[in-house]
Amino acid sequence: MKKKTMWLVAAALTAGSALTGCSGSGQPASPSAGTNTPAQKTKFSISYPTTVSTGYHTRIPDLSKDKWVLKLGELTNTELDVRVTEDAKMNLMFAGGDIPDVVGVIGTATTKSLSGSVESGVFMPLDDLLKQYAPNLMKQVPKAAWDAVSYKGKIYGIPEYLSNPSRRATFIRTDQLEKTGLPAPKTVDEFLNVLRAMKKNGVENPYQMRENFKYADVIFGAFDVLPYKDQFEVQNGQVVPKFFDVENTQKALQVYKTMYDEGLIPKDFATISSTDYTKNINGGKAGIWSANATGLPGYRTGNTQVTPSAKVDIIPSPKGPDGKAGYFYYTPVVRSFYINAKTKPETAAGILKFFDWMTTEQAEKFFSLGIEGETYTMENGKINYKFPKTQEDNEEEGFRSGTLWATHDATYNKLRLQLDDTGRDTLKAFDTVLAKEGLSGIGFYPDLSSFVKFPDLAAQQDVGPKLIIDHMIKMVYGKEPISDWPKVIEEYKSKGGNEIIKEATDRYNKKDGVIELTVGK
Amino acid sequence: MASKWEAAEHVPFQFATARQKRAFIRKHALLYIISIPGVLFFLVFKYIPLAGSVIAFQNYNIFRGISGSPWVGLEHFQRMFAYTEFIGILKNTLLIGLYDLLFAFPVPILLALLLNELRVAIFKRIIQTVIYMPHFLSWVIVGGIIVGLLSPTSGFVNHMLKMFGIEPIYFLGEKSYIRSILVGAGVWRDSGWGTIIYLAAIAGINPDLYEAAQIDGASRLRQTFSITVPLILPTITILFLLHIGNFLDFGFERVYVFLNPLNSENGEIIDTYVYRAGLVDRQYSYTTAVGLFKSLVGLALIMIGNALSRRTTGESLY
Repeated sequence: MKKKTMWLVAAALTAGSALTGCSGSGQPASPSAGTNTPAQKTKFSISYPTTVSTGYHTRIPDLSKDKWVLKLGELTNTELDVRVTEDAKMNLMFAGGDIPDVVGVIGTATTKSLSGSVESGVFMPLDDLLKQYAPNLMKQVPKAAWDAVSYKGKIYGIPEYLSNPSRRATFIRTDQLEKTGLPAPKTVDEFLNVLRAMKKNGVENPYQMRENFKYADVIFGAFDVLPYKDQFEVQNGQVVPKFFDVENTQKALQVYKTMYDEGLIPKDFATISSTDYTKNINGGKAGIWSANATGLPGYRTGNTQVTPSAKVDIIPSPKGPDGKAGYFYYTPVVRSFYINAKTKPETAAGILKFFDWMTTEQAEKFFSLGIEGETYTMENGKINYKFPKTQEDNEEEGFRSGTLWATHDATYNKLRLQLDDTGRDTLKAFDTVLAKEGLSGIGFYPDLSSFVKFPDLAAQQDVGPKLIIDHMIKMVYGKEPISDWPKVIEEYKSKGGNEIIKEATDRYNKKDGVIELTVGK
Repeated sequence: MASKWEAAEHVPFQFATARQKRAFIRKHALLYIISIPGVLFFLVFKYIPLAGSVIAFQNYNIFRGISGSPWVGLEHFQRMFAYTEFIGILKNTLLIGLYDLLFAFPVPILLALLLNELRVAIFKRIIQTVIYMPHFLSWVIVGGIIVGLLSPTSGFVNHMLKMFGIEPIYFLGEKSYIRSILVGAGVWRDSGWGTIIYLAAIAGINPDLYEAAQIDGASRLRQTFSITVPLILPTITILFLLHIGNFLDFGFERVYVFLNPLNSENGEIIDTYVYRAGLVDRQYSYTTAVGLFKSLVGLALIMIGNALSRRTTGESLY
């Protein structure tokens, strides 16, 4: 540890004398964000977040010498000490005290994985540095994303953002739909009729339901009563969760109950895990399902492997009585990156330039396509991309374009998707379907402190509070009457919900860490 | 493992001079040396971490450490008892622990006695291996297997029920089945493994006793009840007491894999609650407080069990 500090001091001194040397010779070092990088290489350590314990990064013994990392260093005039940290192990990193210069995390400045480090002053505020060294980034990132990586009015993180927060879509087996002779469902009633017709034709799970309504919330969406964290709304001057809308919640539950009673969803959906869900869909047992739109290529391959004639498409989600449809809007930040407060100012400047570079066309090409002559070639202005063939190739591509590309619009990777048919279909789905649906709401960053106090009432990004989900599931299974919903709301209120509503309303009125997820920027 | 007759025979070494003592230690130096790793293990991994329990009385912040975090007294304990579902969770923990003690504990003993009666060695070995194999599967896998077996649409159990004209039952969707499933899964996974100690104890019984009994005309059953069972009773008692010590440590993952909204009312135990409320939300202090409370209940149980056992059988842990 001591040795390391000594080295850092030595490095800083050399850097310092180099700078004075420059100014001495009459060429003042320009502090503005020049595209021409100075000769001095910025050296820093960076931790990229991941959710998986497998993949390309686990096969490379020293990531700092990996070919993509070296190339990235060459392009950005940096020397990178790269590591990939599993999200679940982030708290170990903080507890151990060995915090790299740049720490990436899945989520925002106040996400649990950061263990409250931003609040504790482990990272530096970036407002001034961003203006000075990363003007392009400053312009590109939407305001909602900056808000989500700020704490007490100061920007702490550099976000990988979403310009279109509508991410999930309704998938259908078009070939099964054609067999029923019905048009694609536009309303909830039509949706039910299509499911019934599919059931008659022998589709095992007309709608692929799953435990806790996760990725099975199309009906809650249609009635605009999603019970999630960022789905608060103003009712009678108070900020409340959307399930306080008794009438629509009951209607949505009734639709789910109908689906359950008629066998349109698996009878044991309360224990259908994400593994079973994927297995059923790719095994051709599902007719309609909800999933991330970016999953389209995967579902097409999966389904055609079992049934060669299978056709999978994204359709507009069925509309509810008020014309609303779709799924919740995501937090506009996917990942975000923080700079250690102990980092030297020169290094911090270099780091910001590194992130600023990521918004350039050169960066887009490098991350999406790789190295010319190696992973792609240009022929008369047309790109010939070497598509990954094996699982290993796929993981390598994922590491390059998914992990290393720290800040950019993560809605989709346009350059890469344009290259083949499914990719173009995915783009089309985003632009023509997803851009027109989705449910706005009010969210709080950092989380409401009353959530911590009442864990049973705390919602997550895409799972409702335990208390609410428990009652909802029991009602769908007919173990409790749906007419009891007002009682559930009373229970929620009495077990701490009143405190949650009060805090939410106060913070909303004071505009303290409030993010309104709405369509458009 | 001090039983009463052993205690009577036990005479501590007495040395006339200090030199004699040193000579004795030097003579058995090797034994002292090989005990070091064990002693160190308990010190480093069991005793030193105990000090960390103080964070139960603080608002622990990992960036400030134990010395910098504010003290809050019994606040976390108050919050624990104020939680409306806490009594239900405690009741589940105690009931599931009790069922486990009543139903799962005797199974390895029965299995060991039955295995002991098998005369074809190869058959006995195969059976033994087959029944202890599940122990090496992780709970996630065991959970997957059992959820699959009990599925109302594709599960084997419901197929059988259908053959007898019974409507399929959604076992994991009824709160009344969950405790039986939890304990049953444990029996399937671990009882084979549990037989090993009993088989070893049975192997240690002097064959002369059986010979004598045979000459006196005792049947096999008679021999089992009059020789095998009484002679492995000390082992049974010790294991029983150890089990009581772990009474509340039913285990997190073996419950977590089976829980869903339809059965959690009867299935949620302290460990799963700690995970849900504490670790997921990074509430280190609160979690520690709940864990500490659990340890205290465990300690009380083992002391009661030990005292009862010493009175009734003369066997005790300490």
